[in-house]
Amino acid sequence: MTFRRVAVAATAMVLGLGLTACGGNLSQGGSADTGKGDIKLGMLTPLTGSSAAIGPHMKDGAQLAVDEINAKGGINGRQLSLTVSDEACDPKTAAAGAAKLVSDGVAISVGGYCSSATLPTLSIFNKANIPMIIPAANSADLVAQKLPNVFLLNGTGIQQAEAASKFVKAQGSSAVALLDDNTSYSTDITKRTDQNLRQLGVTVATHQSVTAGESDYSGAVNAVLGSHADLVYWTGYYQEGGLLIKQLKAAGYQGKIMVADGSVDEKLIQIAGQDNAQGVLATMTQTPQTIPGGQEWIKKYQDKFGTAPGSYSTQAYDAVRVAAEAIKSAGYTDGQAVMKALGQINGFSIFSGPLKFTPEHTLSEGGFDILVIRGSSFALNK
Amino acid sequence: MNDDSSAYVRAVEERAPANVALAGKGVGSPKPRRAGLPVALSGLLSSKWLGLVVAVLALALPYLNSSTYIIQIGTDALIFVMLAVGLNIVVGFCGLLDLGYAAFFAIGAYASGVLSTKCGWPMIATLPVVVAASVAGGLIIGGPTLRLRSDYLAIVTLGFGEIIRITANNLDFTGGPNGLYGIPDFGDFGLRSDVAVYWVTAAVVCVAVLFSSRLGRGRIGRAWRFVRDDEDAAEAMGIHTYKVKFAAYIAGAVFGGVAGMLFAAHQTAISPPSFNFLWSALILMAVVLGGMGSTPGVVIGALAISLLPELLRGAQNWRYLIFGLLLIVIMVFRPQGLLPARAGEPKRRRRGGVA
Repeated sequence: MTFRRVAVAATAMVLGLGLTACGGNLSQGGSADTGKGDIKLGMLTPLTGSSAAIGPHMKDGAQLAVDEINAKGGINGRQLSLTVSDEACDPKTAAAGAAKLVSDGVAISVGGYCSSATLPTLSIFNKANIPMIIPAANSADLVAQKLPNVFLLNGTGIQQAEAASKFVKAQGSSAVALLDDNTSYSTDITKRTDQNLRQLGVTVATHQSVTAGESDYSGAVNAVLGSHADLVYWTGYYQEGGLLIKQLKAAGYQGKIMVADGSVDEKLIQIAGQDNAQGVLATMTQTPQTIPGGQEWIKKYQDKFGTAPGSYSTQAYDAVRVAAEAIKSAGYTDGQAVMKALGQINGFSIFSGPLKFTPEHTLSEGGFDILVIRGSSFALNK
Repeated sequence: MNDDSSAYVRAVEERAPANVALAGKGVGSPKPRRAGLPVALSGLLSSKWLGLVVAVLALALPYLNSSTYIIQIGTDALIFVMLAVGLNIVVGFCGLLDLGYAAFFAIGAYASGVLSTKCGWPMIATLPVVVAASVAGGLIIGGPTLRLRSDYLAIVTLGFGEIIRITANNLDFTGGPNGLYGIPDFGDFGLRSDVAVYWVTAAVVCVAVLFSSRLGRGRIGRAWRFVRDDEDAAEAMGIHTYKVKFAAYIAGAVFGGVAGMLFAAHQTAISPPSFNFLWSALILMAVVLGGMGSTPGVVIGALAISLLPELLRGAQNWRYLIFGLLLIVIMVFRPQGLLPARAGEPKRRRRGGVA
């Protein structure tokens, strides 16, 4: 039988190849930085899929930092260059994108937006000995494996939940409804907020999980109305957030609505409708709009790209600067040396304040602000 | 060829044409009547050596190009081939439209993921449990639903796919929406770890493709095709259609489960969004695109569906638009699939074929 012969031949091939495979570069790591030419920075960001609006913000923010550093003569005499790859907020696409960056010879990764898509990329970069400075993804799971190459530049769910709980307590809310979209990042925040609120003595009236990507959230909306909550905290992304705000208002909900950083995008206001979105609160890491000297940075960004900076433009900008700082102090681009340098950074100035990583490789200071929607944009809540 | 067939299958095959003709459905010609380039191409593609050449190419890939990216998408593509070949047993051979095939993929991935991360089992030791879990899943869903036909079966399997994903999303031991991470691989055998995973995957997938192709040509394969072409006639001829359909469903489930295990080892992190309906739809698309019931066709279809989005990565935001357009164009010009099952296969009839 021909197929049996094929089977035997295939098995022989496997054995043969396996036995002779010790040569070549099959037993070594990925293509490392060559030490000449540009230092390549790799960025995974959603350019397609449900969070595609974020990709250009992050890409432009990082590009701005790259251009600034190059204008000042680069690092150790070498110029930087940025390679962007699509993660599509999908684990499989992200893993392939990460592998592509490794093959392209990036020295350091400055990307990562969706936490669940970033998780499978950790080990790919780790095996290739490439440090990751993750600007946006901030699930606690990212650092739970304690991989030496993973550094989070965004405040984690722990810090965001703290900021949210404190604010809710200060508002004097009597009953809070927590809504998440069942993703890694979103449930992380609601679970922690739930715990904090109970400790602070605030009633959590209901805790609902919705399925991302649907268009009718009347189940969750009715649960909120039935629970008589006077504050709703949505921790998912802007697409579902906008629909929820719209449907809550349409159903006659009168209380406050607060959203987490994944929903802080002007698309949220467009989807919800500007009237519905007025007065919606948000927990967000510090943005140039909210810090002194930020206006100058915004102008620089606008002059260069013709659009205002969006969510995570600043974190991406900072990620590149932190990467450059670490390579500079390490002296070269070897992964181990850069990781060590990252761990030793102390007081380097970024948007969220002076940077120092905790032993878990998260920010020592989270710096979450409360924003509010006024007109067609987010402003600092005063 | 028919020596190993039981009497009833032989009887079925001898009598069926006459019965089908009586039923007014027409009988397919036993010999293909096409000529020219398509025949030459078809002959080349169905050559007994083609499978060997492709298998050797797949196994030799790390020698041709061992960049991390090529190995990554190569492994993805091979796992997708395994899924498509598995679904081909269910949809292509037996004609059961399964819209929730990603469920078995998820069952396999989670079974191996949970055992290896929470219980510390080595990856290879999870294989029997993965197979057992897939069979159990197939029994639970197949038992009641395989009594249904066509659209109804599709709807129930669609629901099953979503149930498995949402269950994984809500259970604690599956890691909830965060999924499982830090899943070990099969060991590195002194090689680069991604290359080691690639070779294990390539070997398993080569065997799986052969296995499915052999299944389709054997006695049960003929029973499957008979059930697909006319279930009532098949039953009238003495085929236990329920058992035969069950066999196809379980075989498909095992393929899906083992592919899930390979996926878990390859990705190192799994979460519910990896097993959504889009996956089931894409696997089905690979089967339809390649040509239902044709193993070489399905392998080609799976490679196309899996690799096209990656090859189009350079097109940035446009890549899924171009991907979609390409699929539409292919289906407009090749509605029967890229490489459909051959009409001249022995004892094979085509519905409404030339008389």
